[in-house]
Amino acid sequence: MKEAASASGRVGVTALLSAAGLRKSFGGVRAVQNVSIDVPEGTVLALIGPNGAGKSTLLNLLSGVYRPDGGTLSFAGHSVREMPAHRRVRLGIARTFQKIRLFKQLSVLENVLAGFHVHHDTPFWKYFVYGASGRFRGEAAQLLEFVGLAARAAERAGALSYGQQRMLEIARSLATRPRLLMLDEPAAGLNGAEVEFLLQRLEEIRRRGVSLIVVEHNMDLVMNVAQRVFVMNHGEPLFEGTPREVQSSPRVVEAYLGGEFA
Amino acid sequence: MKLRLLVALAVVALLPWILHTPYWRGILIVCAMNVMLALSLNLVLGYAGQLNLGQSAFFAIGAYVSTILVKTWGWNFWLAGLAAMIAAGLLGLALSAFAVRLRGHYLAIASLGFAVITYQILINWEAVTEGVRGIYGISPPPGFRSPVALFYLVAGIALIVYRVLDNLVRSPVGETLRSIREDEVSAAAIGVDAARWKAFAFGLGAAIAGLSGCFYPGFVGTLVPDAFNIVESFTMLAMVIVGGMGTMIGPVIGAVVLTFLPELLRGFGELRLMIYGLALTVVVLFLPGGIVQGWHALRARFS
Repeated sequence: MKEAASASGRVGVTALLSAAGLRKSFGGVRAVQNVSIDVPEGTVLALIGPNGAGKSTLLNLLSGVYRPDGGTLSFAGHSVREMPAHRRVRLGIARTFQKIRLFKQLSVLENVLAGFHVHHDTPFWKYFVYGASGRFRGEAAQLLEFVGLAARAAERAGALSYGQQRMLEIARSLATRPRLLMLDEPAAGLNGAEVEFLLQRLEEIRRRGVSLIVVEHNMDLVMNVAQRVFVMNHGEPLFEGTPREVQSSPRVVEAYLGGEFA
Repeated sequence: MKLRLLVALAVVALLPWILHTPYWRGILIVCAMNVMLALSLNLVLGYAGQLNLGQSAFFAIGAYVSTILVKTWGWNFWLAGLAAMIAAGLLGLALSAFAVRLRGHYLAIASLGFAVITYQILINWEAVTEGVRGIYGISPPPGFRSPVALFYLVAGIALIVYRVLDNLVRSPVGETLRSIREDEVSAAAIGVDAARWKAFAFGLGAAIAGLSGCFYPGFVGTLVPDAFNIVESFTMLAMVIVGGMGTMIGPVIGAVVLTFLPELLRGFGELRLMIYGLALTVVVLFLPGGIVQGWHALRARFS
């Protein structure tokens, strides 16, 4: 796995997440082909591309929702290619979903508390006797504070507004204490003020040492938050560079303007 | 919490003296067993969200394994009961293998198939189960020969089961099970191994149904496969739904109501089953959250 990181040779430090030659097809459709990416610790990688470019599929490969048909994938020195999604969480990979997937019938606080699942070390049979555990309640409250939902803690998650649900999903994934957080279109459906708040929170998350992969259409957000931008088109890598380089790349502009966005 | 426990204990203590005829005392014992069965199904269905229609099989395993160990192998009842509970729990684990691959209606069909197979084994494996001829002359647990004592025993165990499950569902394990019920993909994204926790819920639910089954043969005195017809699975399902699934008190209320309602309707003769069926339909149509939901709605209106 180490070879993959050094072969790409783009970064001096060892990558936290390193993928090489990832492939995934559905039936005859090649959703992701030949994708290699490195995410160094503490950096933000934005993943952009026209609709249907394979961004969400790539995220699903990285998080373990799908198994790749080929390629290598390593995280923090472990090969995770064949590892089920729930075990990747223990290594420090967390994610949110493009179509929000909260535990809708549970309260806002319960959603975040559930996020601490992998950090419980009490053997389950003790709960037969002792019941509720106050553990992580403080930390959960802090996370709700962090995403601006402290006042809504007791409400049903499904009752929150769209933007609030997005923030709650981020809080829940942060409860797993990730080293890498992958956000699938976190700004979709958010209003201007909410995007501003999100941007500020993402900066703060990164400052605390969490690496980020952000799939996003909102270019303002991408240009502000990301160190590197990875552009996909038709399931293949199109371009990779700094936000500035991407903006001035004729190939990227063409993909967007000549493609589905025209 | 303390107060509720005292009230529950007082109710259990007084009931056989209020409903004091042998007939009603018998119904009380059945009711206590049904409470355990409803609680066991609710763990799987109401909390882990798995549509399991095989619960009658675990009730049967509990009854048959404990009885055969006592009658044929001369085991002590309590040891046999423990073994029966473990046997049912292990079969529950086995059934959970289906729940890992199937969901919703497909799991319902597979688990129903499991109950049908168990029923057929009880009928046809005559060398062990005596088939439809049945096993006769089964005595109640030693020391609990009188109906009142047996009721206190079964109801006491039902109370312990309630307490243990109540603790469990309010613990982080409860959060985990409900996260699987709400959204399995999302649960995996927070690190929940759904296969493992479904197995846990199925295994524990089956063990509790098996525990309930241990007391059935001694109460009736005979054991025939027909008592574990798949219809029993639907009766348990009705108890959970009518009471309010995903709550702890709901299935208890459902079990009590659906044990006593048919008895109270006996005066209606042939109309009895129609009224019962109608009542069920009305609840499902207008109170999908069961009696518990109705109670909350009433309280909200008057406060």
